[in-house]
Amino acid sequence: MHDRHDPGPPAEEHDTPAEVDAAFRTLRRVALGHVAVFTGVLAAVPLLTGALAWWSQGRLFGGMSPMFAMTAFGLYAFFFTVCLAAATLSNAVEERMLGGPGRDAPRGDGPPAA
Amino acid sequence: MSNGSLPLAGVIALLWGAMYLVTQVLAAPPLGTGTTVLIGAGLTTALVVGYPSALRGPRSKGRTRSAPARLQQGRHGTTIAAVGRSMPLRSGLTADGARRTAQLLQPLLSGAAVAITDRERVLAFAGPGAGHHRSGDAAAPPTAGALSRGKTVLVRRGGELGCPAPECPLRTAVIAPLTDGKRTVGTLQVFRCDGALTPRGVVEGLAGILSLHLELAELNRRQRLAVDAKLDALRAQINPHFLFNTLNTIASKAHTDPEETRQLLVRLSDFFRYVVRQEGHFAKFGQEYFFVRTYVSLEQARYGERVRVRYDIDPQVLTARVPVLIIQPLVENAIKHGLTDKVEGGTVTLKARVDPLTRTTSIRVADDGAGIPADVLERISNGERRPGDGQGLSNIAGRLASLYGERYRLDIRSSEDGGTVVDLQTPLG
Repeated sequence: MHDRHDPGPPAEEHDTPAEVDAAFRTLRRVALGHVAVFTGVLAAVPLLTGALAWWSQGRLFGGMSPMFAMTAFGLYAFFFTVCLAAATLSNAVEERMLGGPGRDAPRGDGPPAA
Repeated sequence: MSNGSLPLAGVIALLWGAMYLVTQVLAAPPLGTGTTVLIGAGLTTALVVGYPSALRGPRSKGRTRSAPARLQQGRHGTTIAAVGRSMPLRSGLTADGARRTAQLLQPLLSGAAVAITDRERVLAFAGPGAGHHRSGDAAAPPTAGALSRGKTVLVRRGGELGCPAPECPLRTAVIAPLTDGKRTVGTLQVFRCDGALTPRGVVEGLAGILSLHLELAELNRRQRLAVDAKLDALRAQINPHFLFNTLNTIASKAHTDPEETRQLLVRLSDFFRYVVRQEGHFAKFGQEYFFVRTYVSLEQARYGERVRVRYDIDPQVLTARVPVLIIQPLVENAIKHGLTDKVEGGTVTLKARVDPLTRTTSIRVADDGAGIPADVLERISNGERRPGDGQGLSNIAGRLASLYGERYRLDIRSSEDGGTVVDLQTPLG
């Protein structure tokens, strides 16, 4: 509830439905792209097991096979990276596609210096 | 996307199919899976890396020639041709350019001193006598004769050079004017200490080469001015009718919907702030997108449901650099000439993509409006204009040509009652 002197919400929070729709579609592209990468890497683990004997029989540090190291540590690091990348890109997209001029706009008010 | 990533994906799929056929079906015994995967991965990498080069085509002869030309810049004084190919004065008759030119010329002239002046002052001096002839000094008195007559002046006695230093070794001089087309803007002066004159033809030849560089610099400057003027024209071209109509729309809503009125005023303010504040010839697509959104929302306030819009934006394109005020005029054309001529209105689609492989930004503005009659479309394609025609498309094409040369594509397809599609492809910046 606004008091009498509240100037009200800034105008840039009123995006048109077409603009929100566009941002949604772009965010969906971001999500689908990251899901594709996620799925590709996840599917590569069993595929490599069938394709490369070294993947499951080789030995890395501590006697771990590459597949074990990947499933024990690598996948978690990858999940974290993918999530971070998706969230960062999604935020940037939303900031650039909705609301006011955004972070890239020319700054300042009033007439130009020239 | 005829030359984008999709054909590459198809070729890679075919490659893997062929790999499977050759290594697993035709070969006896079949190759190991690991080997097959490694070969396939290697070939795929080669394809992905080589594909952009293949799309760009063979390197031009000009580009091939530029490498040895660059190499010869370092070999100062080897030949006059090398001096001609180097371009220290391509940025105009500046002190820095003159200094580099004098240093380049001096070894060519058997130890003679070389000076380059503008109409009043010495810009650079190299060779014997450089200890007391410095840049910024007043030019030697005979310079005035060469500047006023536009002809070469020969000075045969050291006293005529007007040098106050008694130990000055310079005895003779050949002073040739430098021109940037029609105006004499300075001189090239070649001094000798042995009493002989440097051959006049050599000095005039060198002055001719430098004058050509200065003329090119002047042409470049005029070209930049022309591009700036086109952008200014586009900024000034914001149709006054658009402003009147928008203000009328806002006025009509002032009593019934104050909140929408306020929003429209803010959007109108954003619109003009962007036009006025945008500096330079490029902006991030995200900024141009905001400008287009602002424009469209103002038009929608006027036309209501008759103007619909659909944005289809690639996430990567938002940070790509695009020429300023290019997309909004295309959208404006689509609304003004496409949709408003149809009673039921229509939809404008703005689609933007980036192809990282070909390093291009593709922007498509399409409408399902009235379309362009075939004769008008042909006239537009040929760049012809008639009184009353807008200058949006011709201005855009001119600016794109100035900014990118031949490295852009602007295609317009239209059919009457079938709408218009404008495709723009620019290098990814």
